Amino acid sequence: MSRNKNELADGTNIADLVRIDTREVQMRTLEDREIYELEQERLFGKTWLMLGHESEIPNSNDFVLRYMGDDSVIVTRTKDGEVHVSLNVCPHRGMKICTTEAGNSPVHTCIYHGWAFRSNGDFLGSPIEKECMHGKIMEKEELGLRKARVTLYGGLIFATWNLEGESFDEFLGDAKWYYDLMFCRSDAGMEVAGPPQRFIVRANWKTAGEQSAADGFHTLMLHRWLGEVGNYKKEGAGSDLAEEMYGAEVSSPHGHALRCIDLARKIRRLTGKEPSELSLEEKLRILPPPGMTAETVDQLKNNLTDDQMEVLAWMPPQVGGMFPNIVFAFIYIPQPDGTVIGSMALHTYVPKGPDKLEFMNWVLVEKDTPPELKEQMVKQTLNLLGTSGMVEQDDSDTWPQMTISAKGPQGSKSTMKYQAIYETSKPKGWPGPGIVNEGFTKDDTQWHWWLYWLELMTAEK
Amino acid sequence: MTHDVEQSVMDAMRAPVAIGSERYNTILTFLYHEASLLDNLKISEWGNILATDLLYNIPIRHTRSSRDNAMSVVRTCQHMLDDYRSMLGRIMRLEGNSAWAEDPPSRVRRFITNVLVYETDKADEFLVVSNMLVTRNRFDDDQYDLISGVRTDILRLDEASYKLARREIILDQAVLGTPNLGIFL
Repeated sequence: MSRNKNELADGTNIADLVRIDTREVQMRTLEDREIYELEQERLFGKTWLMLGHESEIPNSNDFVLRYMGDDSVIVTRTKDGEVHVSLNVCPHRGMKICTTEAGNSPVHTCIYHGWAFRSNGDFLGSPIEKECMHGKIMEKEELGLRKARVTLYGGLIFATWNLEGESFDEFLGDAKWYYDLMFCRSDAGMEVAGPPQRFIVRANWKTAGEQSAADGFHTLMLHRWLGEVGNYKKEGAGSDLAEEMYGAEVSSPHGHALRCIDLARKIRRLTGKEPSELSLEEKLRILPPPGMTAETVDQLKNNLTDDQMEVLAWMPPQVGGMFPNIVFAFIYIPQPDGTVIGSMALHTYVPKGPDKLEFMNWVLVEKDTPPELKEQMVKQTLNLLGTSGMVEQDDSDTWPQMTISAKGPQGSKSTMKYQAIYETSKPKGWPGPGIVNEGFTKDDTQWHWWLYWLELMTAEK
Repeated sequence: MTHDVEQSVMDAMRAPVAIGSERYNTILTFLYHEASLLDNLKISEWGNILATDLLYNIPIRHTRSSRDNAMSVVRTCQHMLDDYRSMLGRIMRLEGNSAWAEDPPSRVRRFITNVLVYETDKADEFLVVSNMLVTRNRFDDDQYDLISGVRTDILRLDEASYKLARREIILDQAVLGTPNLGIFL
């Protein structure tokens, strides 16, 4: 008799790893080969995954290599401007077709036996045509690279192996209204500062994944230095950090999460006025979204609704994630001279086995950010986030310890707790959709992230 | 900001400083001393050898074809891009109470070899190219994170010793095998 597909080899039911009534998740989820392999199929084989930004491949025949779960894929732009994502595995003998990380080529030829593919993944032919070395059993149409379904959103490239599944908009659901505030707000849109930073963290991808679902609370302790020696240090003693934890948090039944942080304090500091004394336009001009300027904020009304602009000027999403492994930071950083400079970055945490992840960090700017501001933003972002980022260094040193904890026979049975629950709801007058709670950061967003993980891990086929 | 390190190396190649000469020895001593300060966590003392016009950067490496190999060093986005002011910020953080990524500190050893020194068109500045192997070990790990690369420095004479005015580190990994660059290279 075959065992239940939601049962692990030792008889544990996957559903029992997440205790709904007490909002706990077993540490075993962070260090288990079997769970990891199921995730490859049920999560990374099913959901939309972010692979990069189209500004990385601006010209026809440009390509970059990326990963979808454990699979290497080629992300290309074809002559007609379309973006394609193909499995980087030669259908002939399984060699990697493409061995360079980026480049430009109309044809990708496998260096093993020479099977060749167009940039859209179609099979072109094999060497010594008259010998028909690809045989006559299969048609050429059947010998192309396996193609993923692709969508572009605000210039970001998403792909999925789930060819018939939900659309990207359905995947984002209500959360899209908020992501639009970041990725679809300006006329020219975003671009990457350059290719992503890449480095290895010896941790399960979910240690970073669950944090990405808007864990605000950790900032107070893990990033405490920000209030001690950094930009949030108050004159005299103490720190402003705790006050930065107030705002509204958006959760999603699909595990997406956004922390919308109140700009009132920054606006008061910049103007000496209460935000209520200022018009929407004045607020946006005084404190433009990261990468935008007093001149370019006029573009917002071309792309956003009045309600969206209201949230952008009041409590814009500043950190959060997209299920399963994406983090965004669109932050307003106070400068020593009293002004504010924005930083924008996107990460993905690519799984590399149960106890290893690859951290990919893209630094973003608005295409029409003035060059001097662009340079300041990139510098500041590299200073705070990613490989050498003073904030995220501390995160990448924490996740391995959680993963090690999960290896212990007792530790693996220990649980992560998400029991700080909102008892509020949307802020008064909040015009946005979705599950929204006001106040000090809580655990709800991360709990929703785990619930969706569980839903996918136990879904009927 | 100029990133044309390769060109400045090429230009300087015309005026090598002889290995074993007095100039070479004082520069080698400086590099060893610098590595020792960092290995021994004397971070603020290390800060004192930085020139106030410092530029310090670590490009991203890309796996590119032989034909495109010039593009394997990426300086648009980088792993690190600092000036004197931001470097002092990093030092301040490390000297504070909550720089968890380096508290407890990694055990780090910097091996600096293949040192070549060149004169530049400024009498008080020398271009110094060195290979670097850094071993980093944390907690109970039985393995080392290895960080290797080539450093191109500009050292400026400062009374009896030198100040570091420019450092670019070209690393040998496209995907770094260490969880952060919370240490200085």
